[in-house]
Amino acid sequence: MAHNELILTNVTKRFGGLTAVDALTMTVEPGQIYGVIGPNGAGKTTVFNCITGIYKSEEGSVSWRGEEIRGLTPYQIVDRGIVRTFQTIRLFSQMSVAENIMSGRHIKSTQKWWHGIIPTPGSRRDEKENWLKVGELLEFFNLEEFAAIPTASLSYGHQRRVEMARAMAVDPTLLILDEPAAGLNDKETSELLEVIFKIREQGVTVLLIEHDMDLVMKVTDYLTVLNFGKKIAEGTPDEIQKNPLVIEAYLGSEDDDDE
Amino acid sequence: MKALQRFSYPIFFVIMALIPHLLNPRWQAVSITFLIFAVVALSQDIILGKSGMFNMGQALFFGMGAYTTAILNSHFGWPIIATIPMAILIPALFGVVLAGPIVHLRGDYLLVVTIGFNIVFVQVLQNNLGGLTGGPNGIFGLGSLSIFGLNLTSQVAVYYFAFIVFLLTLWIMHNLEKSKAGRALHYLREDQLAAESIGINTRSYKIFAFGLGAGIAGLAGTVFAVQYSAVSPEAFEFIQSVLFFSIVLVGGSSVPGILLGVFVMFVLPEIFREFATWRYFIFGFAMILSMILRPRGIWPATFGKIPKFLIKESKHGA
Repeated sequence: MAHNELILTNVTKRFGGLTAVDALTMTVEPGQIYGVIGPNGAGKTTVFNCITGIYKSEEGSVSWRGEEIRGLTPYQIVDRGIVRTFQTIRLFSQMSVAENIMSGRHIKSTQKWWHGIIPTPGSRRDEKENWLKVGELLEFFNLEEFAAIPTASLSYGHQRRVEMARAMAVDPTLLILDEPAAGLNDKETSELLEVIFKIREQGVTVLLIEHDMDLVMKVTDYLTVLNFGKKIAEGTPDEIQKNPLVIEAYLGSEDDDDE
Repeated sequence: MKALQRFSYPIFFVIMALIPHLLNPRWQAVSITFLIFAVVALSQDIILGKSGMFNMGQALFFGMGAYTTAILNSHFGWPIIATIPMAILIPALFGVVLAGPIVHLRGDYLLVVTIGFNIVFVQVLQNNLGGLTGGPNGIFGLGSLSIFGLNLTSQVAVYYFAFIVFLLTLWIMHNLEKSKAGRALHYLREDQLAAESIGINTRSYKIFAFGLGAGIAGLAGTVFAVQYSAVSPEAFEFIQSVLFFSIVLVGGSSVPGILLGVFVMFVLPEIFREFATWRYFIFGFAMILSMILRPRGIWPATFGKIPKFLIKESKHGA
């Protein structure tokens, strides 16, 4: 068995009387692009929050590379190679694009707190190396011309790219994307598709939530479908598209909208 | 403009280095006060401006440094110079211990708690804790600064002591800007959840900010004690904390903005003696106006301290 799996077993998260995620079990294999889909309010983002430590699930286990990570804080989980983006983009909006990406280098930097008061040659070198890495990411995400611009003044599509660049700066093993195509136009979406494939080529596992069905069917290897917090189906995109339960719960309702 | 910026700091430093020789003793004293309060305001900026924590008790740490020097010198006979490490460490440790249980509080709650700490501190001083703090009159008749047997009693010497402390503070602020720790403070101020989700232990960096801010304020306290050869509780009242708080807010969390704020608050009243009674009135209006017209301060902090090699020419000429 490979050791880089993310295994959720019977994860349950309740908010008062509402069960947002109900006994969810799923396994993300290394190197996969794994999709979680479902109608609004199905509990997709709650699942991500349980994995990334923003919420702690009441029951079940979240196992990553054989280690139980349920109950760890978000920064401890990042330290283990899992990093996320947000559905509503959360950038440091007054700060420049380069500084935003630099935040992802935080846990890779070898500087200690006292280097903030008295720098040493070692900390200056570390600083330089991390900025060089930021330079590479700016190039990879085609953001070089925006390096010094505050993110608040960028377009929505560019902000999404900055957020992904920031997450990739962590050198993650598992990248979690919460609706990466939300608010993007067709051109930006197809660029996003390429970026996701390029990220996978670097050996990063990708777990994503998405509403754009075209994108999901094109990009993912494997899918889990949620409805009212419960898993109603899982399988490859082809299998999911044929699943009558899924069509009823999700795809069907979208067809209705189209008519 | 670029050239102006490049030369403004060296010119400022040269003027500040020469100033005591150009002024009479009264103005030398005003200049020392300016430097001391500038250091405290800059230390407040680390907590309030950089990290966004509403700390309304900076006078506590300032006072703790001053009292540490005064008590060690007058009760235990330490030379002033030997009290400096303790005047930094004790407030810094106290800052860390105080901050530990309270940094998770949201802005307004933190504000109230730190006000409480400041009031308790002044009460403790006034009630002559353990017979050490000297009660409402404080402690006076401190020894003067002496280094290597040289007795630096003159006001000019005290000025240079304050100036060195001021330069040291600016140097630390500069280092902070170019370090992982300093950036972490900016990140957690901008968006705490995003900072946490990118791997920053926000709690420990908040405590770090409190400890560092408290240590620098404590060092300023030593200079204050040396200048007056005395300390008394009213110099560290809650209202002083309000002043430091508003200097950072109105100035805008940048070094020039804060120096401007300290100048308006502590030096202008000396220039216009009639203005002295009006200073709270005028500063109050400045606070109201600047918050309405320039919510980020008169001289806002500029971000974008990134290495030059990353800045490429924009293809769109933006």
